[in-house]
Amino acid sequence: MPIDSATIKAVTASLYERSLKKIPDDTRVVLARAGEAETNTTARRTFTMMLESADTAASKGQLICSDVGIPTYSIKIGTRVRFNGPVRQAITDGFAELAANIDPPILKMVTHPLTHERSYAGKDIPIVSFDVIDDADYMDIVCAPKAMGTGRWEAVEAFVYPTEEDVEKYVLDVVLRAGSQPCLPIVVGVGIGGTFDQATRLAKEAVLRPHGKPQPDPQLARMEKNLLDAINQMGFGAMGTGGDTSAMAVNIDYSASHGFVPVAVCFNCWINRRTAARIHGDGRVEMLYE
Amino acid sequence: MKPMSHFHELTLPLSEAQARELRVGDMVTMTGPVTVSIGIPTHKRMAEAAHAGTALPVDIRGGAFFHLSTYVREQNGISQPLYLNPSTSTRYNAWMPDIVRGLGPRLVGGKGGLDSESVAALRECGCVYLSFLGGGSPLLSRALRGVRSSHWNEYISQFRLLTLDVEALGPATVSIDAHGRSAYDDLGDQARARMPEILARLKQGRQTS
Repeated sequence: MPIDSATIKAVTASLYERSLKKIPDDTRVVLARAGEAETNTTARRTFTMMLESADTAASKGQLICSDVGIPTYSIKIGTRVRFNGPVRQAITDGFAELAANIDPPILKMVTHPLTHERSYAGKDIPIVSFDVIDDADYMDIVCAPKAMGTGRWEAVEAFVYPTEEDVEKYVLDVVLRAGSQPCLPIVVGVGIGGTFDQATRLAKEAVLRPHGKPQPDPQLARMEKNLLDAINQMGFGAMGTGGDTSAMAVNIDYSASHGFVPVAVCFNCWINRRTAARIHGDGRVEMLYE
Repeated sequence: MKPMSHFHELTLPLSEAQARELRVGDMVTMTGPVTVSIGIPTHKRMAEAAHAGTALPVDIRGGAFFHLSTYVREQNGISQPLYLNPSTSTRYNAWMPDIVRGLGPRLVGGKGGLDSESVAALRECGCVYLSFLGGGSPLLSRALRGVRSSHWNEYISQFRLLTLDVEALGPATVSIDAHGRSAYDDLGDQARARMPEILARLKQGRQTS
């Protein structure tokens, strides 16, 4: 049975709305734990407010943040999947329908990069990346509304035969430059190697990794842990007004590379917007995480 | 020793003395009219008015001007603000000193702070910067009581010069006070000062594995 365009359209819209109105369950656990361990009074209070804000949004169907960002989707399609209509257009239509109907109405955030004109739609919006999964009869859709609070501080730089130390220092430099300005605590995604585009894509996929998913590479696992400790020693704290937890996680991935090695660093803010669903070949929709 | 953090329930407008009483780390709620906008064109226009000495369509002297965005629903002739949430303030750095000096607010705010030129203007004029919870829309929106006025309506909703009536808006954290102290500068300095130690610890981590 082929996957229907209408299903893709509905899932596109639904994932975006869920991303805006509820923080991921795993993220709530991490924030609650950080709040309990916090020694700074203001930050402790901030964590309590964060949880109350997230819980209120989820129970009352409210937006957690008014900056609903621009829509981004990462899609992986099983090679055994068949479609009975357009896929890219279904995603565009799904987002357009959501923007027209969501309650409460969302603000216009899609911005022409040169004229700065704002809208709910624009060239290449939603931003979508596609990949395939060999021999699978389902497609996975990850949705991540992306806003300026973290987006403006992300960076990529090419190194030549970098050491582990070079990479770690660069990650800390990018975090230090962002300082108090993103809505902390953030998740930090790091992509090492490949090519320019591959490094940024790795960083993006890493930042969206669910909490607690094990890092199988022991060297990366050690870097993740040590960098997380390092960032939290900086002291920026919840909402950047001082405290013990500035980052919830550091997630790293790499691709084989040439002697030139791009390193990309990206962030997700404390509400950590990410949702994912699987559409099975028989049309069933399964939430992977939210 | 850390100074005590105080909680203030403020009613707007404020006197200079009231603004100068507020210290970094204090928390506040606000009741009264607050003017909000997150538009860069709005800030340019406000700064130009401040510079030229022309009056804004709404007087923010003694009041509050925040980088908060809202959606106003227009239905049956009634304007209803649906939610309220902060935006990153540093992108308005270029215009905030003129706005603070020329238009005389006692409270500004958003999230993430302002640069040193703004800190100087706040100190000089007796105005403080407040940090609101980003992603705090469900909490901050409880304070909304209505729209007092809306100007420059040719802009999209969040760019307008909008004055809202709020009751107990907050709590927000005083993060730059009217005495030249900025939590952001302090924390940036502290993080940079800690870097040698942090890098040494990372080095140790690489060697012990």
